[in-house]
Amino acid sequence: MRIPTIFTLELQKRHHRIGRLLALAGGLVFAVSAYLPWAYASGALDDMSYLGGPSALQFLGLALGLILAICATMGLIEPWAGAKGVAPALLKVSKRVGWTRGAKVTGIGMLAYIGVVLLAIVIELGGLVTVEWGGWVALAAAVVGLIGTRLITPGRPPSLERLRTPGWVGILAIALTLLGALLLAAYALNQVDGGSFVVILTFAGVLAAFILRSGLGGWLSSISQRHRTVLVFAAFAVAFLFPFTQNGSDANMSIATQVLIFAATAVGLNIVVGLAGLLDLGYIAFLGAGAFTAATMSQSAFATIGWKPPFIVVMLIAGLISATLGLIIGSPTLRVSGDYLAIVTLAFGEIFRISMSNLDGRDGPDLVHGSSGIPAIPNLNLFGFDFGAVHTVAGIPLGRFSNYFFLMLLIMAVIVLVFTRLNHSRIGRGWVAIREDEKAAEAMGVNVFGLKLLAFAGGAFLAGLAGAVKAHVDQSVTPDQYIFLESAFLLAAVVLGGMGTVMGVILGAVLLKLVPEKLRFVNEYRMLLFGLLLVVMMRVRPEGMIPNQRRVLEFHSDDEELIDEIEEDLPYEFAEES
Amino acid sequence: MTFFLDQLLNGISLGALYALIAVGYTVVYGIVQLINFAHGEVFMIGAFGALSTWIVLGTVTGGSTAWWNLPLMLVGGMVVAVLTAVLMERFAYRPLRNAPRLAPLITAIGISIFLQEFVRLFFGEIPGFPDAKAAIPFPQIDFFTGDPVNVGGVLVHRGNFFVIGALIVCWAFLWWFVNRTATGRAMQAVSQDPDTSRLMGIDVDRIIVVAFAVGAALAAVAGVAHGLRYGNIDFRMGFLAGLKAFTAAVLGGIGNINGAVVGGLTLGVVEAMATAFMPGQFGGPSWKDVWAFVLLILILVFRPQGLVGAKVVDRA
Amino acid sequence: MSIDSPVAGAAASGHEVGKREMLVASHVTMRFGGLVAVDDVSLTVHTGEIVGLIGPNGAGKTTFFNCLTGLYKPTSGEVRFADRLLPPKPRQVVVAGMARTFQNIRLFPNMTALENVMVGRYCRTSSMAVTSILRGPKYRREEAETRERAVELLEYVGMKGQGGHLARNLPYGDQRRLEIARALATDPQLLLLDEPTAGMNPQETRQAEELIFKIRDSGMAIVVIEHDMRFIFNLCDRVSCLVRGKTLVEGTAAQVQSDPRVIEAYIGSPEGEDGAENA
Repeated sequence: MRIPTIFTLELQKRHHRIGRLLALAGGLVFAVSAYLPWAYASGALDDMSYLGGPSALQFLGLALGLILAICATMGLIEPWAGAKGVAPALLKVSKRVGWTRGAKVTGIGMLAYIGVVLLAIVIELGGLVTVEWGGWVALAAAVVGLIGTRLITPGRPPSLERLRTPGWVGILAIALTLLGALLLAAYALNQVDGGSFVVILTFAGVLAAFILRSGLGGWLSSISQRHRTVLVFAAFAVAFLFPFTQNGSDANMSIATQVLIFAATAVGLNIVVGLAGLLDLGYIAFLGAGAFTAATMSQSAFATIGWKPPFIVVMLIAGLISATLGLIIGSPTLRVSGDYLAIVTLAFGEIFRISMSNLDGRDGPDLVHGSSGIPAIPNLNLFGFDFGAVHTVAGIPLGRFSNYFFLMLLIMAVIVLVFTRLNHSRIGRGWVAIREDEKAAEAMGVNVFGLKLLAFAGGAFLAGLAGAVKAHVDQSVTPDQYIFLESAFLLAAVVLGGMGTVMGVILGAVLLKLVPEKLRFVNEYRMLLFGLLLVVMMRVRPEGMIPNQRRVLEFHSDDEELIDEIEEDLPYEFAEES
Repeated sequence: MTFFLDQLLNGISLGALYALIAVGYTVVYGIVQLINFAHGEVFMIGAFGALSTWIVLGTVTGGSTAWWNLPLMLVGGMVVAVLTAVLMERFAYRPLRNAPRLAPLITAIGISIFLQEFVRLFFGEIPGFPDAKAAIPFPQIDFFTGDPVNVGGVLVHRGNFFVIGALIVCWAFLWWFVNRTATGRAMQAVSQDPDTSRLMGIDVDRIIVVAFAVGAALAAVAGVAHGLRYGNIDFRMGFLAGLKAFTAAVLGGIGNINGAVVGGLTLGVVEAMATAFMPGQFGGPSWKDVWAFVLLILILVFRPQGLVGAKVVDRA
Repeated sequence: MSIDSPVAGAAASGHEVGKREMLVASHVTMRFGGLVAVDDVSLTVHTGEIVGLIGPNGAGKTTFFNCLTGLYKPTSGEVRFADRLLPPKPRQVVVAGMARTFQNIRLFPNMTALENVMVGRYCRTSSMAVTSILRGPKYRREEAETRERAVELLEYVGMKGQGGHLARNLPYGDQRRLEIARALATDPQLLLLDEPTAGMNPQETRQAEELIFKIRDSGMAIVVIEHDMRFIFNLCDRVSCLVRGKTLVEGTAAQVQSDPRVIEAYIGSPEGEDGAENA
């Protein structure tokens, strides 16, 4: 889809030099404007009312301005350096960067950023007059920068991903990127003010767009392909460090733990949806089955089963019960597929929820006290480690939720391991074959039914584990936590994030859970926006934010150009090794 | 015996409600092989549209509940429902016509949630409209509500007259529309072979819109019937009713209009009977939805072609 | 293992044409409602022989194939393979040693050529979830073997170095060859080819012919459906002609070729409407 534009190619060809200069000026002025007062009073965002002392958020703006300035300058420097023969090695790298594309997207992003900031100031302080002159300077600079970038002729596509870099550079880059992400996330989470949170989110979005458009993203993804294990370990290390950035506050850790439970379940669901290609609209029932199992066998005074084995055993039983349910729910796949299968799973999910509410001693045996559920589930105590107590490590107190966070991280690691290993195995190949052409797969000797059941049972088992922990984190289990909307929410995390990838689903889960938690006003409209998001996403980018290459192919089967592009960039596991 | 007849009639009227919604699933499926899972929400919107019409009328009439309100409410509900369905087709489904099956299904879930939330959040914001975050009482139109009528010893809830009558009228209208009008015949042609139909000069896009609109209009009638029958409506009512109507559509063989009507009636009677006569602890109203879902699963697994349909052979 | 032999293990059975009965289909009938698509057809295939199946369009050749490979459960009749009754389940048919290709190519389009062949190895490997997750020794061994065998087979069918291409992007002739390689990966003793040269130009047809000969020479039995008469009579030891679901003639290529009823079925009689142009 082409958006009609007044910046035609002829106009760009004529004025691209002016464009670069305007972009450069816009970026520099924008960066400098961070030192000016943007707001009239200190009450908005993180106090932008000082002259000469940028607030933290203004520093983010400064960073954007500098990025734009650098992008615009490089276009001017490159021909000059090429002619003079200055720093040929650096120039080689520079030629692979999509400076122009980066500049263009940063131009839009800068305007979006200042727009959000000014809007937040106007809302929080009340009225346009509360914006100080510095704010208007920044806005003007952003507009100039945007016009400038629009005037630059379209740049070459970046080719950084073909850059050969020494291993340590790649590892360092991965470490730094993840560290940056950790700090940004910790910083964003510590914002009490909703406006600041949105501003940081906008900044993160602009930064991500810049990284993607300039080719840095391609480079990062190519090095993370090469250093897959490093990436995974670094990601877990970063997540492990997260509680230590909270200075003992458990408020964010509560959210983080919930996000982690949600994300782990979503990755489990991704085995069913992303790998095996089966739509499961009742997946929340498996989490629920795990939670109810753990609750009924817990030390709670309301637990209905007298047997109270150690938690490890409970967790395994929870997983097995979920897996059994998974086998039952999966058994119709022998005969049903597609939309009908989705409805069958939805119906199973509802049956689970309603049955649980009915097991109250009146309409059925009293197993879970019906809709009031099982409350007062005590904290875990594993090998003498009390999950309810505060433990101090290296001077930093880690509270109850931090403890559960670590436990969930461990379970997450298991789930990710299961997911990736299964994906790159004989079983994973079988799943792809089934997704591609079920009849042909069967005729080639692939055990279609068995593999589908395996996906259902395996995914359910993992969700059961997560559910067992969830029961103790929430301290109570009620049927209304496991409604259809939650299943839809999980599915949305998979769809938005990217079917068939771990990173995508984690990103989707984090965004879906975190944003409403941090934004009160979004919380009210949460479901509305979420519904809209699903519709828009299916139209614009059905494969999700970080998709599996093969999924892209499946959703865009008529885009020849894209297919050839993907074939060229096939990751190593697709290609013949010789 | 009276109790049995009571339940039978109750089941038939419930079934008529399901049938009116089920037609929407079946007509759309027949034309584009798409299961519009957001159709339950169209039914809900229809009910709210009718309620809105009555409230607006009330500013002039002072809240009259005379019988002539009903046709106006029906029209109001239909307009809103048809508009919703047509917009949904145009902006959400049409761009996905050649996409993998997963895309329209997820879109439908998105639309469902969006429409529910839209009504929940914004219906009460309109001046003079009640808050929709909980169930809203539906206007008690004269004659169709009030004390049950005694027909030969059986007490008949008056709302039942409306829904059964509506089904008969709508069914007759559909038969006439599909078999006797040019548009109806074009619909038949498109359902047989869309590509050839296009070559024959039929505007397939328009036919698809018509299919959505017809389904929505009937769903709006069902919405009004639901309001009269239960006395209140709420933003969540489309989910369960939609699923059960979908069951009815599959039961009758999806794509088959008469099948949807038969399927709806069957499902309604079975549900009423099961609720009333299922013995022991697992019977009664708190388990009835479980049994409805069990029935849905059994049908999808063992008779996906419906009660009367023939098995379709797929070639290698 | 030598690349000249796609028959893993069973290669020892060698080239003993017509010595042992491989496949015995007796009185196979397939009805769809009132339509009798295959009517009492019997066919015997011996080790190391190529049997051709010809007949006008709609004669029931592909339906017969589907009955043999378990996609359809025959209304009556039975199929025996290596003296065992074949269950009508496609997967068990493959495990028993019978693999097929499809008339309208059914590769896995978004997988690479190599991966397509590796899927064919699925039924000859057995690592399940636990060893796959733990990367146990069995998994490593099987995975290496699978890959090695797939590379070999690609080379065997003449697609060396093409393993990294997506199946959907391959030229038509290569797609057909890839389907054969995928079928060979299941270690079959009998290969069923459904119109392996349909839509090919003469040069591609000749290459396909050579490939099929090469496979036959390695000791594998082959049943092939074809419309190209020259191809069938060059290739086949025996030919069976199906018309309207019934076996019309069965015999050596020369016998069938000169049989007036076959000629009539294809071009002659007034009812042979649609067969002629495809012959």
